[in-house]
Order: sequence, then C-alpha cells, then structure tokens
Amino acid sequence: MSEVFSILEYAFFRNALVAALLTSLLAAMVGTYIVSRKIVFISGGITHASFGGIGMAYFFGLNPLVGAAIFAIFSATGIEWISQKGKVREDSAIAILWSLGMALGIIFVFMTPGYTPNLMSFLFGSILSVGKAELYLLLVFFVLTLMFFIIFFRPVVYTAFDPEFARIMGIPVAFFRYTMSVIIAVAIVISIRTVGIILVLSLFTIPQITAMLFTRDFAKIIPLAALWGTLGSLSGLFFSYFFNIPSGAAIIFFLTIQFLILKGFVMARDFFRRDEKVLE
Amino acid sequence: MSKPLAILENVTTGYFSEVVLKNVNLEIFPNDFVGVIGPNGGGKTTMIKVLLGILPLFKGKVTFPQGKLNMGYLPQISQIDKSFPITVRDLVGSGLKAEKSWFPHLTSKQKTLVNKMLDEAGLISLASKPIGELSGGQTQKAFLCRALINEPQLLILDEPNTFVDKGFEQELYRWLKELNKKMAILLVSHDIGTISPMVKTIACVNGTLHYHPSNQLTEDLLKVYNCPVDIIAHGPLPHRVLKEH
Repeated sequence: MSEVFSILEYAFFRNALVAALLTSLLAAMVGTYIVSRKIVFISGGITHASFGGIGMAYFFGLNPLVGAAIFAIFSATGIEWISQKGKVREDSAIAILWSLGMALGIIFVFMTPGYTPNLMSFLFGSILSVGKAELYLLLVFFVLTLMFFIIFFRPVVYTAFDPEFARIMGIPVAFFRYTMSVIIAVAIVISIRTVGIILVLSLFTIPQITAMLFTRDFAKIIPLAALWGTLGSLSGLFFSYFFNIPSGAAIIFFLTIQFLILKGFVMARDFFRRDEKVLE
Repeated sequence: MSKPLAILENVTTGYFSEVVLKNVNLEIFPNDFVGVIGPNGGGKTTMIKVLLGILPLFKGKVTFPQGKLNMGYLPQISQIDKSFPITVRDLVGSGLKAEKSWFPHLTSKQKTLVNKMLDEAGLISLASKPIGELSGGQTQKAFLCRALINEPQLLILDEPNTFVDKGFEQELYRWLKELNKKMAILLVSHDIGTISPMVKTIACVNGTLHYHPSNQLTEDLLKVYNCPVDIIAHGPLPHRVLKEH
C-alpha cells in the first residue's frame, strides 16, 4: 500500500490521475449522448479523421492538438450536415472520411523531415506525459460541457431522441445538434492524449454500456458511467504503472473486465429472480 | 360557422426536387374530425408536415385564421427509436414548452401536470420505465399523452392504430371521440375501413387531395385511393364488405 502512496509524490503521476479522472467525467456525458443516439460509428470516423490533422500540423510545425481539433470539428459538423440532408449513404461517407483521415496523417508524417517522436503517443496515448497546460485545457472544457449539459439537458436529449418533434416544439434543433457535434469532436481530441486514437472510443462507450446494465434513463446513465469510467481508468492507470505496460491499453482492459463482471452479476441476478418467480 | 383553424391553399411541396403533394386545398374547422386516407407514398405524412410547418412549400400557403394554432402531434411510432434511454415521464414532458429559454427545465407545476396526464391515461405506474419496455398500446398511449399535454386545438395522429391490438384500438377510438368534443382531430390511416365510421369527413391524399364532406365512402373517392380497397358498410358494428373490382 505504501508503494501506491509513494507514486503519488511524482508530479507526472498526479497529473496523469487528474487527466484520467477528468477524461472519464467528460466521456461520461458526451459518451452517453453518443451511445443513446447510436452514433458510435460516426464518432469513430471523427476520431480517425483527426489523425489527418495531426499529420498536417506536424508537417507545418503547428500544435498537433490544434490540427486534430480542426479536422475533428470539420468532419463532425460535415457528417451532421450530411445526415440532415439525408441523401447520401451516411455509413459510406463515414468510411471514406475515416480512412482518408488516416491516409492523410500517414502521408504528412512521412513527408515531415526528421524524426516524429510523438506519433506513437497519438495512436496509443501517453497519459504519463500530460502537462499542466493540457490539464487546464481539459478542466476548462469539462466545466463548459458540464454547464451546457446542466442548463440545456432537456433540449440536448430531445433533439437527440426525436428531432422532428423537438422542431415542432420550437427548439432550435440545428443549433443543438451542431453544438453537440463540436462538443463530441473536441472531447474526442482532448481524450486522445489519455488512451490514443485507436482506443479512445471505448472511453465513450464501455462505461455507458456498463451503466445501461442498471438503468435506461439518460439522466441516470451519466453519473453511473462517470462512476464506472473513473473506476476503470484509475485502476488501469495504477496497474499500468506497476506492471509497466501502456496505460491506454490497461485502462480499456479494466473497463472491459469491469463490464464483463457486472454483466455476469446482472445475468446471475436475473436468473435467480426468474427462479424465484417460477417457484412462487 | 366559425372561422377555420387552418387553411391549406394550393399547397405544392415535396423533398428536394421531387414533388409529393400538388395543389392541395384543405380547411380544418374547430371540432372537425378528418380522416386522411390514401396509398403509401401518397403524401399523407407530407401533408401533416406542411400543417406542422416543418416542411418548406414549393408553392401555395398555409394560414391560421384564428391565430397561432396549438397543435399536438403523434408521429408514426415506426419512426421512433424505442431503444433510446428516455423514461415515459420525460417523453410526456417533452411535449411541454419550457417557460424560460435560457434555462429550459420544467417547473414543478409542469411536472405535476405530466403526472396528472399519466395518471389519467393509466400510465402512472410506468412513469419511470424506459419507453423500450412498453407494449405497443402503451407506447401509443404515452406518445398520445405527449401530444395532448399542451392541450392542443388540433390533434394530429399519424397511423395511431399500428402495433396495437384490437382492444387498444377500440379504447383509442373511444378516447378520441371524447377528445373531439374539445379539439379538432386529423387522423391519418392507411386502414380506410376502421377509421371511416368514427370520422366526420374524409380526405384522400394521393399526390393531390380529394376532400369528402361526409364519412361515407363513395366510388369516386375510392377511384382515387386505387384498388384493391375495402368498402365499408355503415351499421351499428363496423364491418366490411369486400367489393369486386
């Protein structure tokens, strides 16, 4: 146990803990929207498209996070626009965006002279090297998203659930759908630091699916997903430190194990309940 | 006769470049009960969207002589994602407008209203359940509550008799008859036979609209509807005689 406390003396590990905590809380809100609206695949497209922005930023010597954010926001609002027009096969469009983003990223990184040391960290995350500035950015965005969800909870849920009816009720549907697209894009890009492009989407889905074992109420999924997300990512982080494995992979592994254990528990509970009912 | 609630004049509309409705004229009066029939793809739902003001017109206009019309809308349930994590209570609450747009939460008075509505519809015990756990009839009822919670002047129902059993259908029709005393109703159905005995007038939509000022189905009307179709004979019990075509 003393070993656990001793690593808290390291600033880099404290930063990593705060990053994991904030990312989990952010992903709990945004991920619940993604899972409820069934736009996991769209979010995957946005995530991978952002790699194009990272590559381009490297090539032009800019901050990769900015490049990723620009690409992500454009692809997220673009997909929202396509889906509102409804004339294009949305899934095919996403597949193109997905691979085009990755291709662009690889081309630009390849063309960039010299060594690009951080490329792997974008693919698989590097939570242990998160700096103070990034933490503040994460904190500010988390607080803004939280406020948006608290104030506009009803229109956010209703425009996701039944946009046509929301429009009839006079809710500015396009505003809320596009704002949510931007929030999704930025949340994903900010979280790439924690677990990397390849694994980031699981932070936005596994805690929600775990929460949905217990509730089917949007408002209750968020706090439950925050609980399971935080628990999984913090245990993953500690585990990765002590066993010296990549933290992103360890976090996803813990989130999944946690889901499977709880799923088993719920199945067993339902099984015995059914048994009781039969015996009555 | 009082002024109409809504007037559609020479309305032509559709999606993208495709024209679905052409030169449609319709007047809806208070306490009307209009049954809208017509083949699939004939433009029934499109006409509803015109009334609700969520589809731009290519031509013509929609006016509300009595001022802004408060409409309640029951969409086709097949258009709804029933696995969405929303409770029955929140669903019905979505039919209420927030009083403050900068903090659009329901007031406690509005929450009481939702509970009262659910209680009257016999859904109060299901209030905290997600909509995915409801039966077909319960789902229609919950969506009907959402349409009614604002006390509309015009209730618009798109295929309310799908995914429900006959027992619920009868209950629904009794309910609608009661509601018709307070509001105008526009009911869309592909099932011409079952809606005919309860409505006051029939409108047939098939690209264009044919208005029929009674609820008797005639040869002319059915020509528009296209064969094959059930012909209804009116009597104490709704029953159908299938005509030879």
